[in-house]
Amino acid sequence: MSSMKHTITCSPDYSLLTVNIPAGNTVKVEASAMAAMDTNIKMKTRMKGGLGRLLTRESLFINEFTAEGGDGDIMIAPGSPGDLKHISLDGNVVYLQNSGYVASGLDVTLETKWQGMMKGFFSGESLFLIKCSGKGDLWFNSYGGIIEIDVKGEYIVDTGYIVAFEETLDYNVQSVGGLKSLFFSGEGLVCRFSGSGKLWIQTRNVMAFANWTFPYRPVKKSN
Amino acid sequence: MKTEILHRHSNTAAKISLSEEETCTTESGAMIAMSGNMSISTSTYKKGGGGIFKAAKRLLAGESFFLNHFQPSGGSGELWVSPVLTGDLVEHNLSGEKLIVQSGSFLAAASTVNVDVGWQGFKNFLSGESLFWLNLSGDGPVILSAFGVIYTVEVDGEYIVDTGHIVAFDETLNFSISKAGKSWISSFFGGEGIICRFKGKGKIYCQSHNPSSFGHSLTPSLKPRRQ
Repeated sequence: MSSMKHTITCSPDYSLLTVNIPAGNTVKVEASAMAAMDTNIKMKTRMKGGLGRLLTRESLFINEFTAEGGDGDIMIAPGSPGDLKHISLDGNVVYLQNSGYVASGLDVTLETKWQGMMKGFFSGESLFLIKCSGKGDLWFNSYGGIIEIDVKGEYIVDTGYIVAFEETLDYNVQSVGGLKSLFFSGEGLVCRFSGSGKLWIQTRNVMAFANWTFPYRPVKKSN
Repeated sequence: MKTEILHRHSNTAAKISLSEEETCTTESGAMIAMSGNMSISTSTYKKGGGGIFKAAKRLLAGESFFLNHFQPSGGSGELWVSPVLTGDLVEHNLSGEKLIVQSGSFLAAASTVNVDVGWQGFKNFLSGESLFWLNLSGDGPVILSAFGVIYTVEVDGEYIVDTGHIVAFDETLNFSISKAGKSWISSFFGGEGIICRFKGKGKIYCQSHNPSSFGHSLTPSLKPRRQ
């Protein structure tokens, strides 16, 4: 399947995706990510991914946008400012961090995958990953810029900075260095990827930013 | 140590390539990814700086400063670092001279650079966060981070910068802290607060935005915390 015509503008800081949907074709888009579209595009809400999507703390709904009676443009803006990445799936499988999904072609299957108690519990972000398989376009986003890394052998990523990775990579969650590093390095737990395949990481972490705002929270008087 | 600065200007990250004998020192929490052969060790800012319990005490006092040291084993390795806030990075090469860096702006340096805590500044009376300065000396590259973009000012004579906009400056500059207006009341209500007056000859790295002003602008939208 050939990929749809699309442009990504204002990358890597405030990326906005515009997809030109050919007549009769459909694009699946993360709920509430649609910013603007041509009037010949019709929207349908589907509970794609089933109840599992509720568990990933993503909203339950994916909307389907179909261009009727001619091509149509749709502009898609993810919730957080940052980078956007396009890849074409052709039978291979990519795992996305739970908030990374933006849009995909109709023949891309999305499932939520339990990471296992140990991996999920310690990886900080979520117990679930979104498994993308099938054929067609896939777009994902990050908070911050996206760096693509070709892993051959081993690579270590701070758990809060993983955006996506190919299924050909195996991973383990572990602590860095010794006991002192575990508590004082500020790195906490990391993912050690092994094998060969592509890995995408982000240059900023929204959790770290949220923690940064802590001293600025108003103080509630205890009375 | 070779540095590549990517994704400028807001989501900037630095890719640091290290050869086998080289060690890179980073601020705690700065590492985002690294090759599998990299080993990490953690220390306080001063070697033999009182051990882990004293360090923990400083952590509780909000004055902690931990450093991580990365070294590849069995060949070269790479390391990615980035700061918390959006903004730019700059690489500064030291060769014997000293650089004074605002503590929040230090990101990484070659291990040949000494990192020491310098003047412990006043506590910001609005937010209670403490501001302190690091003295960097030695030889080698240093990576600094900023909130917003970084611009440099070559001072020859006198120059005034708001304390919230300082990233780093040459030690050749004398600086004094003072109020922006004629009286404390006018500086406080004028919103400029406390400024740094530089004298002499040297370079200042400034950041386009003040993190603490941004933080205060978020206050109304944040959930209250218990005291």
